[in-house]
Amino acid sequence: MPARTPAGPIALWRSQSGRAAASADRCPHRGMRLSHGFVRGEALSCIYHGWSYARTGNCLRIPAHPGLTPPETIRVATQQVKESDGVIWVAVGEPAVEPPRLEGVVPLRSLTAHASVAAVEAATDALVWQAQTSRKIRLLLVPQEDDQTLIHVLVDDNSSPSERIAASRAAETLRRLAEDLQTKGIA
Amino acid sequence: MTQDAMIDEWYPVGLFSQLDMNGHRTALMGEPIDVALDAEGNAKVTSGDGHTLPVCVRYGHVWSSLGKPRKELFAIPEADQPGRRFVDVGVVRVRCSPLRAVENFLDIAHFPFVHTDILGAEPHTEVLDYKVEIRQDKDEVWATQVKFYQPQAAKSASGGITTEYMYRVPAPTCSVLYKTCPPRPGEWDVITLFVQPLAEDLCNVWPWMALFDDVTPMTDLIHFQQTIFLQDRSILENQIPRLLPLDPGMEIPTRADLTSVAYRRWLKRHNYIYGAQLVAQ
Repeated sequence: MPARTPAGPIALWRSQSGRAAASADRCPHRGMRLSHGFVRGEALSCIYHGWSYARTGNCLRIPAHPGLTPPETIRVATQQVKESDGVIWVAVGEPAVEPPRLEGVVPLRSLTAHASVAAVEAATDALVWQAQTSRKIRLLLVPQEDDQTLIHVLVDDNSSPSERIAASRAAETLRRLAEDLQTKGIA
Repeated sequence: MTQDAMIDEWYPVGLFSQLDMNGHRTALMGEPIDVALDAEGNAKVTSGDGHTLPVCVRYGHVWSSLGKPRKELFAIPEADQPGRRFVDVGVVRVRCSPLRAVENFLDIAHFPFVHTDILGAEPHTEVLDYKVEIRQDKDEVWATQVKFYQPQAAKSASGGITTEYMYRVPAPTCSVLYKTCPPRPGEWDVITLFVQPLAEDLCNVWPWMALFDDVTPMTDLIHFQQTIFLQDRSILENQIPRLLPLDPGMEIPTRADLTSVAYRRWLKRHNYIYGAQLVAQ
């Protein structure tokens, strides 16, 4: 699937053995988005000509030349990926520490707001005053291009179905409020 | 805007069979134009500021130019050959550089992945060596002896065959493909790609065919070709950058891409850079 990070667009994929990987979302052959590609075994293949890449980014196979071992120079940039507590973390550069642990909570859903991180934070402050649930909702905010924010919503892991539905609705209210603030230029 | 040497070329702007006196508005290299029939039933192309533009009608299409074409539209001798059926496929709008659309048409290595089980299928992915040359007499790019295994090469084909192709690029946004003709060994089916540059990153693709096929209904022939081009569009609208990189370094070709390499060099040498990206940009 396509995803955006501060280091650029990536193709986020899971190999057959279950390992998550992040490759730059552009095949160096003809510029096709790798997020349109397909996973076979431990490799991600480009949908245009089937060039396949390992998790580490090196090109494994060029189907037009089945007898050829692709040179080391043909590769896509990759980013480090860690999976913990149900969240996939993608690193920009070489992080010195592990991603934070999120014990006691589970991911509920992700949504994109057409609003900056500042606007989402301002909307969160406003919402706290009218919170209708005693449960806490935790948000992970990821800045995207064009002043958009990807919001990951997490709830307590013992939340009931109705509490989860309430949290999901609260997240949508938050998105609308953040987009209003963005439009009015308050944040 | 980069109009360069391409301004004096002929471009397709519509199907002659669909013209009427009311005309239709379209665009050529960023300029609005109007294509209509005049009182005598001839095609007439007018620029946004009311000037009459050069016009010719050939291969089912109306052709025009914003500049002053120095030569006639390229010849396709097969278009005058008796016994062929001519197919106006229609138009596919693609959000990509007109040059990327042509380059994709010249490429066979994508068949198993993009036109799966029609023009190609795994494990038959190998592209054997073929010949590429610039024919100096006509100044055209030619690729010959191109062979590829195809599950269903044409509407008239039943079962898989190894198809032989020849490609020519007679103009910067046009390509003519000669392809093994299943019902008539020894003859070539002709499939063309005429591309109308609307902007540097937007084009109308007008495929046209001259086939030996008396059996397949016209609707099926059109649907077959439109299916193929819609599959190509899903690729063309997702290449980065949208413009065609003409300088080496941005993209990595292999032996299978020799036609594309020759096409890019030929474009650059002629300063045909409308829809191209150069390192300097």
